[in-house]
Amino acid sequence: MGVKGATLFPPALEGTPGSSTYRLPSLPPATLGFSNCAVQLENTGGVCVNYFIFAGCFSFSGSRIDSDGKPAKFQPPPKPVIIDKQKQREERRFLSPEFIPPRGRTDPLKFYIERKDMIQRRKVFNIPEFYVGSVLAVTTADPYASEKSNRFVGICIQRGGKGLGATFVLRNVIEDQGVEICYELYSPRIQAIEVLKLEKRLDDNLMYLRDALPEYSTFDMNMKPVSRLDSEEIPVNKLQVRMKPKPWSKRWERPKYNIKGIKFELPEKKMKEAQKWSQPWLEFDMLREYDTSKIEEKIWKEVSEALQK
Amino acid sequence: MMPIWTKSGKKHAVTLLKVQDCHVLRYISKEESGGKTSKLLVGGKNASPFSKSESAMEIFKEAGVPRKQKVTTFNVTDDAIIKPGTPLYAAHFRPGQFVDVTAKTIGKGFQGVMKRWGFKGQPATHGQTKTHRRPGAISTNKAAKVYRGKKMPGKMGNIYRTSFGLKVWRINTKHDIIYVNGSVPGHTNCLVKVKDSKLPTYKDCNKNPPFPTFFADGDEKLPEDLYDEEIFQFTDPSVTYA
Repeated sequence: MGVKGATLFPPALEGTPGSSTYRLPSLPPATLGFSNCAVQLENTGGVCVNYFIFAGCFSFSGSRIDSDGKPAKFQPPPKPVIIDKQKQREERRFLSPEFIPPRGRTDPLKFYIERKDMIQRRKVFNIPEFYVGSVLAVTTADPYASEKSNRFVGICIQRGGKGLGATFVLRNVIEDQGVEICYELYSPRIQAIEVLKLEKRLDDNLMYLRDALPEYSTFDMNMKPVSRLDSEEIPVNKLQVRMKPKPWSKRWERPKYNIKGIKFELPEKKMKEAQKWSQPWLEFDMLREYDTSKIEEKIWKEVSEALQK
Repeated sequence: MMPIWTKSGKKHAVTLLKVQDCHVLRYISKEESGGKTSKLLVGGKNASPFSKSESAMEIFKEAGVPRKQKVTTFNVTDDAIIKPGTPLYAAHFRPGQFVDVTAKTIGKGFQGVMKRWGFKGQPATHGQTKTHRRPGAISTNKAAKVYRGKKMPGKMGNIYRTSFGLKVWRINTKHDIIYVNGSVPGHTNCLVKVKDSKLPTYKDCNKNPPFPTFFADGDEKLPEDLYDEEIFQFTDPSVTYA
C-alpha cells in the first residue's frame, strides 16, 4: 500500500504539554486540494481503495483557548475509522495440486474415492497451504530416534504425485552437506507440518538449487516462522540464483526446463547454442492442452464443503 | 492403484477392483460337466444385447439378466450352489482374505526375442554386422532339429495370467470395490476374475466367510467400509512409536 505524502498519524506535536498546537506534516501541493476530512490513499498495485475518514477536523495553527479563557485540555486526535469497501473481495482460493486428477482413462470414481480419503485425513491432520519455494518444518515419527520423532527444516523444491501418494521434497544444507528428504503428504507418520515462510518463486521446480551455491539452500534449523497477514497475496521471491561452475547435473540453460530463477553468467555464445534445443511448436500443440479450470471448480466446491462440515 | 498405510507406518500399494453387475447365470451339475465338482457360470458387466445371436442370448434370458460382457466358470462344492439370477457383491470377500486374480495381460503385439523372452542380444559395436537383437543359435548340431516350444519372436501379451495370494485390505460395500494388495495383470478398466486363493499357506485363512455368498436383501447390514485390522484408518490420529 503506497501512501502519498509523509506519515499522517500521529502528527508531530510541538510546544509544551500544556499548549496544543498541531502541525500538519508537509504534504505535496497536490494533496492539499483534498478536503481535510477525507484523504484518499491509493494502492500502488491493486484494485482495492481504502478511505480514511476523520471523525472531526483539526485546525492548522494557534493555541486553542476555551470559552472560559483557560487553556483547553489536550484532546488527542480522533482515531481513524477504516472502512474497507471491498468486503466482497474474492477470497484467495487455494486447491492443493494433488487434488487435480491427471489426464488418463481411469474411472472418475477412483479419484472420488481417493479424494474422500484425502479429505478425511485433512480433517484430522492439518496440511497447510504451501508452494514450491516456501520453507517448511516437518516432524515425523521415527522409531530409531531417541525422542521417537524427527524434525527437518528445508525449502520445498518440488511437489509431485497425485492423490494419496502426493509428495514434496525439502532441501537444506546441514554442516556443508546438502540433504533432500521426500515426504508423503498423507503418510500417517508425519506428525506436524509447519510453514515457516510462505512464498513462491519464479519456477515450479527448484531442482537447480543442487547446482547453485550452497548459501541459497541453507536454512537455520531453529528458524522462527515469518509472520504474515491472511489477506495479503503470496509474495513472489524474484531471486535470481548464482550457480556453481559447470558441469551441472542438468543443462539448466536449455529451454525445455524454462527456468527463470537463475542468473546465467554463461557467455552469449553458449546461451545462443542452448536455444538450438528449443521446441517453439510445443505451445501450439492442441493435443497437449489440459484445461483444468472446470475440474478445479468442481473439486474446490466438493473439498471446501466437506472440510467445513 | 493407490497407497495404503498400516498401523506401524509401512506403505503398501493396492489395486482397486470394482464388482460391476455380477450375476450367477447357470448351474452345471457334476455329471453334466464331467469334472470332479459342479460348476457355476457367472457373468459380469452389462453390455449391449444387439450384437449377439439369439442362441448366445439364451443363457441370459434363462437367468433373467441383461447380456454380460464376460462369462466365467467357478468350480464349487455342492453346498455352495447359488440360484441362477442372484447378484454377487464385493461383500462376498472380507478383509484379511487372500485371493487369486486372473486377467488378460496387456497386449504388446508382435515382439522380438529380447523383449518377449529377455534374451541378451549382441553387442552394439566391435564389428557386429546387422546383428544386435537377434536370437543367435536356435539348436545344437547333434539334435539336427529345433525343439518344440523354442523361444522365438511372436505375439506377446493378451493371454490369461494369474497373480496368486493377494491380500484383501479393504472392501467398500457402497460402491462394491475390493482393495487388493499389489498389482494385477491387465490394463486399467479391464475385466478380471477374482477367486479364493488356491495356495496351501492361505488354505485356512478365511475364518467366517459369507457362505454361500453375501445376499443384499438378507438380514446382515454392513457398514460402508470394511477394513483389515492392520490398516491405518484416516480417522485415527498420526502414528507414534512409544
